[in-house]
Amino acid sequence: MLTKLAGGKVYDPAHGQDGVVRDIFIRDGRIVDGPGGDTPDKVYDLSGRIVMAGAIDMHTHIGGGKVTIARTLLPEDHRGDPAVREGLMRGGCGHAAPSTLTTGYRYAEMGYTAGFEPAVLPINARQAHMEMADVPLLDVGGYVMLGSDDFFLRLLSSGADQRLINDYVAWTIRSSQCIGVKVVNPGGISAFKFNQRKLDLDEDHTYYGVTPRQILQSLARAVHELGVPHPLHVHGCNLGVPGNVDTTLNTIAGIEGLPMHLTHVQFHSYGTEGDRKFSSGAARIAEAVNANKNITVDVGQILFGATVTASGDSMRQHANAGHANPAKWVCMDIECDAGCGVVPFKYRDQNFVNALQWCIGLEVFLMVEDPWRVFLTTDHPNGAPFTSYPHLIKLLMDRSFRNDMLATINPDAAALSNLGALDREYSLYEIAIMTRAGAARLLGLSDRGHLGAGAGADITVYSPQDDVEKMFEAPDYVFKDGELVVDHGTIVNVVWGNVHTIRPEYDRSIEGRLKDYFDRYLTMHVDNFPISDWELEGDGRSKILIHPCRTGGRS
Amino acid sequence: MSAVTFALKAALRQRLDVSPLIPEALAPLGPDQIGAIPLQYGNRTLAVDELFDFEVGQGDPGVIFRGGSEKLDYVGRGMTQGEIRVEGPAGAYVGLQMKGGRLSVTGSVGLFCAAEMRRGAILVEGDAGDWLGGALPGNRKGMAGGSVVVRGCAGARVGDHMRRGVILIEGDAGEYLGSRMVAGTIAVKGRVGAHPGYAMKRGTLLLFSAPGSVPPTFNDCGLHTLGFLPLLLRSFVGLGSSAFGICQRVQRYAGDLAANGKGEILIVQ
Repeated sequence: MLTKLAGGKVYDPAHGQDGVVRDIFIRDGRIVDGPGGDTPDKVYDLSGRIVMAGAIDMHTHIGGGKVTIARTLLPEDHRGDPAVREGLMRGGCGHAAPSTLTTGYRYAEMGYTAGFEPAVLPINARQAHMEMADVPLLDVGGYVMLGSDDFFLRLLSSGADQRLINDYVAWTIRSSQCIGVKVVNPGGISAFKFNQRKLDLDEDHTYYGVTPRQILQSLARAVHELGVPHPLHVHGCNLGVPGNVDTTLNTIAGIEGLPMHLTHVQFHSYGTEGDRKFSSGAARIAEAVNANKNITVDVGQILFGATVTASGDSMRQHANAGHANPAKWVCMDIECDAGCGVVPFKYRDQNFVNALQWCIGLEVFLMVEDPWRVFLTTDHPNGAPFTSYPHLIKLLMDRSFRNDMLATINPDAAALSNLGALDREYSLYEIAIMTRAGAARLLGLSDRGHLGAGAGADITVYSPQDDVEKMFEAPDYVFKDGELVVDHGTIVNVVWGNVHTIRPEYDRSIEGRLKDYFDRYLTMHVDNFPISDWELEGDGRSKILIHPCRTGGRS
Repeated sequence: MSAVTFALKAALRQRLDVSPLIPEALAPLGPDQIGAIPLQYGNRTLAVDELFDFEVGQGDPGVIFRGGSEKLDYVGRGMTQGEIRVEGPAGAYVGLQMKGGRLSVTGSVGLFCAAEMRRGAILVEGDAGDWLGGALPGNRKGMAGGSVVVRGCAGARVGDHMRRGVILIEGDAGEYLGSRMVAGTIAVKGRVGAHPGYAMKRGTLLLFSAPGSVPPTFNDCGLHTLGFLPLLLRSFVGLGSSAFGICQRVQRYAGDLAANGKGEILIVQ
């Protein structure tokens, strides 16, 4: 099967193509250089239209225990947003925490073809994968959560050799079939259970006697030395605490040049200036990111409306539980080895703090100079549901629209922000970097996020419109692995996405040690812990794609 | 202005959501428009005229369901004015989130009757299912105003999360009467099931027969002669129930002490 996409205006930052008019050929799900003498079976005339790779959401909570808890906690979110069975789409529901099928349909309708679940607890990884496997039309992958688990903290506090920690990290990535490592409130989730209600970067965990700084350094080193393409994915200390901008800057300095990805950095960019002791630290964060090439960030923009915050950070979620709206929340331990907090939330534009959060996120977007190192996320659903991405893109691309919105929010917050003075407008090329090429490069996905030969044919085609929100809401065509799946807003084919993983090498002797530990402390046998390939592929829907690790990383 | 009478063409095989058929929505519509209103029937959507014979008469805005059905769900959902009358049984969610007007059912109703109701009056001549005047699962606010009279018996969890308003049950009530109640009044003429007032914060349960046992988290406050009781009971007549009579001597229990403890169970002596 050979398909020709003829004459579209191609935005392919991975190959430096900024609006180049060219043909794209797809053979058997992959992009190829040319027709090779064959006549295309199908030709799409895309003259005048915009062609980009399928978008990649590199941080979106779409699977795992906390999403299920969020759904269970908020039946009104489902009652209030039913998605009726229509055409090929099965029924579903949910605005902030949509059902799996609806998640896949809505992503595809916006031209997204991949989403990565950033908080896969090792012990819950199987369930997270099962849930993600039920999301149609979307490639998925996960970052496995470490840093507050007992085995790792024991290793670290006993002064174990870094090589041992590397082996444990590699074993965990492989067992949980993940593509990266995330650390959430390093050590804090564990410290919470030892009655600590906050844990600063250099504060000792009362039991293990290690600090978040040590945890970050150790894990970042492990990820680097194992050659994992995606840098350590860090949800730092003190999320949402005014003044945490200093913590975040210290975190950047403390990583000592190792690659690190700071996630939902908006929630970590708060100062304490002004009458209300809450101000924007975005300028200082952006300055640090601009100066430190080892740092990447995604923003975690908030947008106004009702949503639910779901996080592994039980310490901070517990502290914020009083703000729950509606007034109900869940904070729980997971198998004595991790945590989880789910707090529903309404962001209001007339609320000073919420309005300033909105400004801070946009300031980060506009002040971080290199679009290859800042990513478009709302930390779905924590800042806003992913369905608000087109609106967010418009805020970035259209300065007058942004200033109109700025004029409607809480005036005190607007006055404290320098957002109005920022006249940067993102170009389509830069949006393509942020949501496609950059994200693929950051994750080490060599065959996604670009339109060169060999890439998986995940392609989105838009009609140019004056209103970019409308344009990004409803692409004309979306191709998933070469199959046309969305045609002018209608799902015309339901295919199933791939699971992106990596397989770092490690010394098998760690397994004996883990067996003893599992037998003594955990709820399952160590042999049942790793997720086998057939568990993901056995139903014939998902396919595992293994991406190579960098070589030479290991010391 | 019109009263519309609906009669089912055939017995329902699936549950039918009739929430669009409320007086204020039908008042401005002609017969063709009413006939074209889409209704959710099981997993299909059908037009009104596929399911009902109906006629538009003169008179105040109102809706009559002739015959009724146990599968007729969401009768009077969110209605704000006018009158709905079901001549027969109705299904679940009768008067859900009702904000005004009058609703009567000559037969029995299913689950969640009067759930999250705000204002207005509901009369059920038969029995009511569980969660009468309660909150939908996951929601924090049950019935918050208006009145409900049930001539027959009610199921479990009557007035769950109830905040205001009056529920009068002339027959028996099931378990967990007034569970998690925040305020309001529930009177039961017949017997009540186990655990009345479970986790109630405030509000009044007026019982005319002693429960099997008063929960241990309720404190016996002794016998009282309450001057307001005859006034309260007389007001019930105005709400459409004269089954309760007049009395003023009650045993008072305060609780649930596990949840604030400002509520009370009054047992008429």
